[in-house]
Amino acid sequence: MTDTTLNVDHVTKRYGSSSTEVTAVKDVSLSVKPGEIVLIMGPSGSGKTTLLSMLGALLKPTEGEIHLNGTIISALSEKHLPDIRLKQFGFIFQDFNLLSALTALENVSIVAELAGMKGVAARKKSAELLADLGLAGRLNFLPEKLSGGEKQRVAIARALINNPTLILADEPTANLDSKIGHEIMRLLRQIAKEQNRSVVIVSHDQRIKDIADHVLWLEDGQFKEIVSMAIDPVCGMSVEREKAFHLSLNGMDYYFCAKGCRDEFAADAEKYQQTNEASF
Amino acid sequence: MILLAFHNLFQNKTRLVISVGGVALALLLILSLDAIFAGVEHQITAYIDNSGADIFVAQKDVRNMHMAASAIPASIIDQVKAIEGVEIVTPILYVSNMVVTGDKRNLAYIIGLTENSPIGGVWNLASGRGQPGKSETIIDRSIAEMSDVELGDTVEILGQRFTVVGFSNETANIVNSIAFISLDDFQALRGSPDVVSFLLIKTHSGLSADAVAALLESKIDGVTALSRTAFSSQERRVVKDMSTDVITIMNLIGFLIGLAVMALMVYTAILSRRKEFGVLKALGARNGQLYQVVLAQAFMSVVLGFGLGVVFVLLLSGIIPRLGLPLSLEIRPISLLKVGGTSLIIAALSAILPIRQISGFDPAMVFRGT
Ligand SMILES: Nc1ncnc2c1ncn2[C@@H]1O[C@H](COP(=O)(O)OP(=O)(O)OP(=O)(O)O)[C@@H](O)[C@H]1O
Ligand SMILES: [Mg+2]
Repeated sequence: MTDTTLNVDHVTKRYGSSSTEVTAVKDVSLSVKPGEIVLIMGPSGSGKTTLLSMLGALLKPTEGEIHLNGTIISALSEKHLPDIRLKQFGFIFQDFNLLSALTALENVSIVAELAGMKGVAARKKSAELLADLGLAGRLNFLPEKLSGGEKQRVAIARALINNPTLILADEPTANLDSKIGHEIMRLLRQIAKEQNRSVVIVSHDQRIKDIADHVLWLEDGQFKEIVSMAIDPVCGMSVEREKAFHLSLNGMDYYFCAKGCRDEFAADAEKYQQTNEASF
Repeated sequence: MILLAFHNLFQNKTRLVISVGGVALALLLILSLDAIFAGVEHQITAYIDNSGADIFVAQKDVRNMHMAASAIPASIIDQVKAIEGVEIVTPILYVSNMVVTGDKRNLAYIIGLTENSPIGGVWNLASGRGQPGKSETIIDRSIAEMSDVELGDTVEILGQRFTVVGFSNETANIVNSIAFISLDDFQALRGSPDVVSFLLIKTHSGLSADAVAALLESKIDGVTALSRTAFSSQERRVVKDMSTDVITIMNLIGFLIGLAVMALMVYTAILSRRKEFGVLKALGARNGQLYQVVLAQAFMSVVLGFGLGVVFVLLLSGIIPRLGLPLSLEIRPISLLKVGGTSLIIAALSAILPIRQISGFDPAMVFRGT
């Protein structure tokens, strides 16, 4: 069990009762390993947000259990939840949800202070984190003075400040143009990989499929098929492993969109291996 | 979190101005009313305090002037003079009536003075003469100014015409003023030459006024004698008793207005930040911590409101005398304390309301869009 960060065990969520009852999530199971990035996609109303809220202990499942590092968070009382939310989870939202009266720096440091860090230390750590995310020159800007991409980077800093185990993001790119959205997602992937944090992303955005290790398709509250994605090292396209052209080389597996790409790769594997590394 | 309260408070300037201004005005109502009555209490005893008398002798059981009538026989003056410790005795006649100037009727204490009396007369002469002769009067300067009365004009007092020969200062308040006429005129108007209202007494220096007053009461039947300070505090009590209800009601109104303004401000402040409170909750803030923000915000606005209210009332107390109004505002530390306490209660009460509102916020709403 230690090799999974998050374990979702036959979870069901029903809203309302009797005649107005809606089953938003039906008997869903899922596990996420450390450093793994899972993307959940699906049509509107399929239960993505509901599932994500349950993963983040914002919502209790009607049935089933959710384990986080061995703790059954779905069974915790309301009293224990703030601490878990604060220290185990990092949240990233579609509309950023920064506090409008606080500066970028304060938006991050307030969360560190909530977790018990002293003001000066919290500010120092926040400033460093924001600088790492390229916002050194924006520390004292109010959210209204920041661009969408900058706001989302502040939100990422806020999500990371308490060193969470799991980062949960709902439609993080929906309010960003596609180039910035993709950049932000790459940044998130880089952080997840470097710091070995797990990430669960809910999104409609097809373009961010390539940063995920796994893509799940949710429909009517259930996973339809679990597709594991890989990137064609030659053309950069995101491909489904099961359907892709495959090549094993020096103990590594490579997947390609077409036979042509595989042949090209086989001809000069070294060159593509390098660019592949560099791209993440 | 206090920082957040601070920023939240100052971010929305309009709301800040409305809430702080609202609280300030409500507190101003309480403060200025207190100050006005404190001023009136002071003004109302102006005659007693400035009379120069050490002891006031009145008809038995009469202990003040306002709304009171006193009649003692003039014949006892000689008896009083004989009492040990008494240096000067001066009778006055007194009635609460009107000074009619043209079409204006001004409520006034009419005081009848003996000729060349060293005590009980005008103590701050603005212009003219301070001693009324036959058919002459001295009236308050501000009353005269408001009624366009000049020296030499005539006014009507107790149905008789008097020529104004002097103006006095410090002899008016919002309720009434003082007009001095001669004792002889007063007695003639009354038709009873042997009766006076009060005896004003100056004691030999170094003697206790209370002791001499007690001696007077024991030696002379049918009179009540009080030292100036005792008489003056009795007078103040009468005013206080009359004004307590008004002050209580106004204080309550001020308090309720302040509370309503604050409650509304706190309510809208939370409502407008519903989403942000939800976000904080989702990020792991406890209800208690969010509550701190609201409480701090309420206290900050009330403290600001209090400060502004005090500034307003100080400005008012500076401006009002300049307008020539016979009104003086006296800000006493005790009423500042009272209003300060009131505002803290307002802050605490207005911050109690949102406890349920906050604990009711569902952190899951943060994912459900705006
Ligand atoms: N608080 C609630 N009470 C009742 N029903 C709800 C509630 N929240 C969600 N639902 C219902 O549950 C279902 C799943 O909703 P959910 O928000 O999880 O979908 P989603 O996949 O996130 O949709 P979208 O892509 O539009 O954000 C929907 O039918 C929705 O109407
Ligand atoms: Mg959703």
